[in-house]
Amino acid sequence: MSGRAVALVGGASVPFGVRAATWAELAQEVGAALFREVPELRGEDVDSLFVGAAEPERFAFQSHVAPLAAEQMGLRPTRILQRTELACASGQSAIRSAYAAIAAGLSDVAVAVGVEKMYIPSMAEANTAMGCVMDRPWDGPHGATAPPFFAMVAQRHMLEHGTTEEQLAAVSEKNHRFANTNPHAQFYEKTFSRDKLLRLPLVAPPLRLGDCSSMTDGAAAVVLVGEERARRYTDAPAWIRGTGQYSDFHNLANAGSLTDWVGLKHAAREALGRARIAIGDVDVAEVHDCFTISEIVEYESLGLCPEGAGGAFAADGRGEVGGDLVVNPRGGLLGCGHPLGATGIAQALEIYRQFAHEVPAARQAPDPEWALVHNLSGSANVHSVMVYQAGGAA
Amino acid sequence: MSAPPRPRRPSAELVPPVAEPPAAPAPAPPAPPRSYEKRPFLLDFFPLESEKDTRIARFFVRLREGRLSTTRCARDDLLLWPPRTACPKCHSEELVWVDLPSTGRLYAFSAVLAGAPLGMEGEVPFSVGLVDLEGVPLRLFGRVEGKPWNALAVGEVVHVEAYEVGDGRVFYRFRAGS
Repeated sequence: MSGRAVALVGGASVPFGVRAATWAELAQEVGAALFREVPELRGEDVDSLFVGAAEPERFAFQSHVAPLAAEQMGLRPTRILQRTELACASGQSAIRSAYAAIAAGLSDVAVAVGVEKMYIPSMAEANTAMGCVMDRPWDGPHGATAPPFFAMVAQRHMLEHGTTEEQLAAVSEKNHRFANTNPHAQFYEKTFSRDKLLRLPLVAPPLRLGDCSSMTDGAAAVVLVGEERARRYTDAPAWIRGTGQYSDFHNLANAGSLTDWVGLKHAAREALGRARIAIGDVDVAEVHDCFTISEIVEYESLGLCPEGAGGAFAADGRGEVGGDLVVNPRGGLLGCGHPLGATGIAQALEIYRQFAHEVPAARQAPDPEWALVHNLSGSANVHSVMVYQAGGAA
Repeated sequence: MSAPPRPRRPSAELVPPVAEPPAAPAPAPPAPPRSYEKRPFLLDFFPLESEKDTRIARFFVRLREGRLSTTRCARDDLLLWPPRTACPKCHSEELVWVDLPSTGRLYAFSAVLAGAPLGMEGEVPFSVGLVDLEGVPLRLFGRVEGKPWNALAVGEVVHVEAYEVGDGRVFYRFRAGS
């Protein structure tokens, strides 16, 4: 890769879930956790802060959240302070921006933080907030939010490829099981057998409650540094080797195939190409399972299996520890909840911990060298991908 | 980085561009949705319709006449949705208005059984779908009325209809089974 090599050298998250905490308090809490978890980090070293936050205006009635987050975390950035907003991918956008800044020499030590407060007294207003992620005046009046859109993806996938509800449940069961190894997951210590998942109520047919990630309060932060500083903070840096992104529509009328995510293919090709690896080299992946069907389509569009075989990939356990690669060991969005801005950061933190062998054995990928993180946003109309490599030299 | 929509093929069934809408009898609009009440502007999904608020006010004038329409770029032969003022491909602002077909087929559908936005809670359960409009390369998303969700089928014919939002505005939706 051109430019200075960039490493992710540590991070922290707060417990995800229904939190008795405000947006600012979540930022404050993750700041305190970050300095505990990365003891070598000094506040004055952090020259830049990137704040992934999807809808603080809606959920917390607060704009200009970058300086708010800085104040809560006790940071005084001297180079770059900004919010990144890309709906469900706002967190990864913060990391990509930090990466770009460091690679370009504009920053040496940057924090990427994601904060989202989604539990508010009016859940109907929260649903309105989710609705305006879509093309608000055209798709919104019909009642478009994420569940009915991804339900149509599932319906088409079932129609075109014979994917079954049982295969959807296999994704949810796996990710909830992994979430039981993660005390910060929203559904920690809650078990979901496939039978139980298939009996949960329909939310947007054919999707049931267990097929959908939930609204969640949460925050997570990671530290990114230039290559010459990486060993100051950790013995197990996670090197960013590639990144890619693609967007091809916004209004639902301009979506192409619902079941062939061309944008993900483009973004993954770009990210893997920059890292000079193939998808088969990836040992652990954090992919955007906002819905069970999403993870199934992602298996296919990432090239882990042929088109239409994603359901079987899930049911055959190929994304488990001991399978082809470990997919969503953190517990995924399904098991951890999906605080929009925090999700991408928490996924990257899981990659760091996987590389450092800091996670419980039940979800540890065996000696991972390569990792991939994927976020989609909105109606899968934007795909963002990053590739990390463990250890070694810059 | 947003690529323009895919090229649209021309269609013989597309009504030719017209400068001004011809006089058409105004059909009686169906009854308003069950629970609509005026919401604060920043909690209201429906678009503003008047000349002072939008450059595509003609869409709503035509919709009030029962005609679903959009804009088209003649230079690129692109049928554009939603209606817009500049072509995303050649950036020409010389777009023309065209009527869209009033029927289509369900490409996919689902229903909202829980988690409705503010003001739509009373409409639950409601169905939504993607509809391939008859004879034109346009797949529109919209509310589907007329049948419960579990009686709908992919491929089913649905009709476009205009309806009064309830505060003087008008919008479109689909109706199955008529």
